[in-house]
Amino acid sequence: MSMGTYFLRRILQAILTLLVISMVIYGLLSTVPGGFMTVYNVRDDMTPEDLARIRAKFGLDDPLPVRYLKWLSATLQGDLGHSFTSKRPVTQEIVERLPNTLLLMGISLLTTLLVAVPLGILSAVKKYSLFDHIATTLAFAGQSLPVFWFGLLLIIVFAVTLRGSDGRPLLPGAGMYTLGQPFSLADRIRHLIMPVTMLTFVSAAGYMRYLRSSMLDVINQDYIRTARAKGLRERKVIYKHALRNALIPLITLIGLDLPSLFGGALFTETIFAWPGVGRLYFSAALKTDYPLVMAILMIEAVLIILSSLLVDFLYAWLDPRIRLS
Amino acid sequence: MKSLKITLSFLFILSLLLTACGGNTAPTAAPDASGGGEAPAEAVPTAAPSGPISGGTVIIGTPQEPQILNTLLSGSSIEDAVISLFIEGLIQVNENGEYVPVLAKDLPEISEDGLVVTYHLREGVKWSDGLDFTCEDVTFTYEGIMSDLSQVSTSGYSLIESIECLDPLTVEVAFSEVYAPYLRLFSYIVPRNAGEIDQMETWDYNQKPTGTGPFVLEELAPGDHLTFVRNPYFREEDKPYLDSVIIKILPSRETGMQLLKTGEIHALWDVTEADFPALAQMEADGVSYVSVQNGDIEQLVLNFGANDGSAPADPAENPHPILYDLRIRQAIQYAINKQEIADTLLYGNVKPGASVLSFGQYACDLPVSEYDPEKAKALLEESGWKSGSDGIREKDGTRLSLKIATTTGNQLREQTEQVLVEMLKQVGIELVIENVPSDVLFAGWESDGMRDHGKFDIVMYTTGPYIFAPDSHLYSNYHKDSIPTAENEGSGANFSRYINDDVSAWIDDAFVTTDDAQRHEFFCKVAEQINKDIPRIYLYDRLSITAYRTEFHNLVISPSFVDFAWNAQEWWLEP
Repeated sequence: MSMGTYFLRRILQAILTLLVISMVIYGLLSTVPGGFMTVYNVRDDMTPEDLARIRAKFGLDDPLPVRYLKWLSATLQGDLGHSFTSKRPVTQEIVERLPNTLLLMGISLLTTLLVAVPLGILSAVKKYSLFDHIATTLAFAGQSLPVFWFGLLLIIVFAVTLRGSDGRPLLPGAGMYTLGQPFSLADRIRHLIMPVTMLTFVSAAGYMRYLRSSMLDVINQDYIRTARAKGLRERKVIYKHALRNALIPLITLIGLDLPSLFGGALFTETIFAWPGVGRLYFSAALKTDYPLVMAILMIEAVLIILSSLLVDFLYAWLDPRIRLS
Repeated sequence: MKSLKITLSFLFILSLLLTACGGNTAPTAAPDASGGGEAPAEAVPTAAPSGPISGGTVIIGTPQEPQILNTLLSGSSIEDAVISLFIEGLIQVNENGEYVPVLAKDLPEISEDGLVVTYHLREGVKWSDGLDFTCEDVTFTYEGIMSDLSQVSTSGYSLIESIECLDPLTVEVAFSEVYAPYLRLFSYIVPRNAGEIDQMETWDYNQKPTGTGPFVLEELAPGDHLTFVRNPYFREEDKPYLDSVIIKILPSRETGMQLLKTGEIHALWDVTEADFPALAQMEADGVSYVSVQNGDIEQLVLNFGANDGSAPADPAENPHPILYDLRIRQAIQYAINKQEIADTLLYGNVKPGASVLSFGQYACDLPVSEYDPEKAKALLEESGWKSGSDGIREKDGTRLSLKIATTTGNQLREQTEQVLVEMLKQVGIELVIENVPSDVLFAGWESDGMRDHGKFDIVMYTTGPYIFAPDSHLYSNYHKDSIPTAENEGSGANFSRYINDDVSAWIDDAFVTTDDAQRHEFFCKVAEQINKDIPRIYLYDRLSITAYRTEFHNLVISPSFVDFAWNAQEWWLEP
């Protein structure tokens, strides 16, 4: 199979997958009990005519397949629709939140790598040392801590209990900046500390454990033994030979994590009142705002499929055996 | 009885432990059940400066995000509350639950036959963009409400035959039939320059609204905050006192409580009765609260019809095997100690439910149902339900077992259910808890809603009348025409399938009676008869609670949450 055929096949597969994903999400959303009308159903002063008018307005009277096809054709023409609750174009809602999410997730990814890579290497190199035990235990804790609980704990400790010398809380508990004050970089950074810490702690754990085991794998390979045998210094063995090979799977992992730069961190954004895409999604889902929920989920799906395509192509380019299998 | 006490005290201790985590003062004593949090209706803070001070910014936190600021398209109460910072009505409701003229000069005149209502508008009122407020704004608002695009109730407005401007400041509204609760209409007025009615959804106004109220929107940061500043054209000299009001969107009530404590926000919306212990602990940090009854009642809805989803128009066709018998319903009510629930689970901050109208201008003087387990037992014996081997009664091989459902994840409701289970067990009734998410509980007919289709024995939730005009609530919850069936596509909220011809007739009569005293009489006849027939059991009257910091003054809430900011021009902040 030539490279071109392989790409074509993969792209067709991706389109088909997206179509199936959209059907499944749309179908699942429509089974959500109550749905968008619940907020109107519970009000005594709504007459049956009022309810019928509102239902018709949102196109909720059409049968499910008709609704889906209408949505699909509009989406293919680039129209993601208007939010049920705010009436604004869905694209506008998302674009407004995107910079906030990119800021938070971008910085977090950076700090995560800064923490996880050195820790992972050291842990693997000093296998079963005290340092390794502490690091692995912390990583376990990071992976298994309930995010919601951990976030509230951070807030209680740093934004409530601990006070600075001026009697104010040490760190702000919510939002991106202090309201009613001019722009200040220091203020922005202070607001970033807790959410970034939380995200780093939770996701660095995964990366670190991954890198540690991948390093251990590599260290046991024959070519590392050869390198050592020919008398290379241990530093050089680890950083020049082992690390390079151990990083390859990590890069795949990062590639697959990139879509989350868009989707944001639902829990973190919710706990720290970060006005990003994750929170937008959360509140839209609570209100069964179908157009907004569909749009965010579909963009996320497209990004995930694109990044896995990218990873696949990179692999195919690097390793011709994959194309043939 | 002993196990009941144990359950109660266990729940009590548990909730104390849970709430104690929030405090840094570690109080050793429990909040006093009798006087721990009396509702300070006019909270006068100690050592307050003598009078209002101009300037300052108040930050109000809310866990729900207002999505749209056009009242014709808003759906949630948080939106209505925020909108009340800049939108006013001809008539609104003050803190005593009385109608007061706002954009009207006085309460409107009504003709002899009750069909024509005339409003005289206040002179010299301007919109925040400088436009004069006139009768045309009122007619524009009416057109907006009646438009196909509107998302608001047309109840009452749909009876309007014509609406005319006699002169720029006089509005004459003619009804096709008498609509007694006419004072509740026109509680908001939208400016006539907002846009074309048939393009309401794309108005720029929706993001950049103007109003006649004390504040005007300056900045909208979706998902984060909304900033309101003084309306330069506000009619009252030197008011509002505050420079600005910021509405801050918060992730959760828990976060809000913490921010209130640290002073990052000055007030928190949407506090509930379950937060009383936490609020009591925060007193030392300068946090207080205002609470007001709003007509809502936490209640049990008993199903007269079979719970098989047949949804009969008349429960007699397919009655509930247990609950259709009045004696059983009476027994259940006798077995419930409402006072104990109010004292223990709600720390004595609420009143046990007495009737559907226990508060407001149409309040009826009806007693709280008696707690008497012996009477309950006697009634059950009389109706043929005898004690079985495990203490639960039986009749002809049927166990006296009922299911109760409420919304999942609400700790207070779950505790209440556990207490109810114990109380009913004392008289030999088994109550089985089967809770569902709120979307399931409140789903409509078309989504196979359990209430609409009668697929329940007992459900517990909050509902209640708009106390200034209880007509709609009584009609939709207790009128025989409001029983949801396949024929009417599930309209109405008479989920008990309660039929009493007298009650239905009185509700109809009240709608077309303009004499207020007579209306009051009809309402109370309805309330009294309901208490005899027991389609519902009222557990306790709910409260609207807003927590605030004591440096924030003059926060007075109206029993109508929609009118939250009805006196926002009077708010001021101690520096």
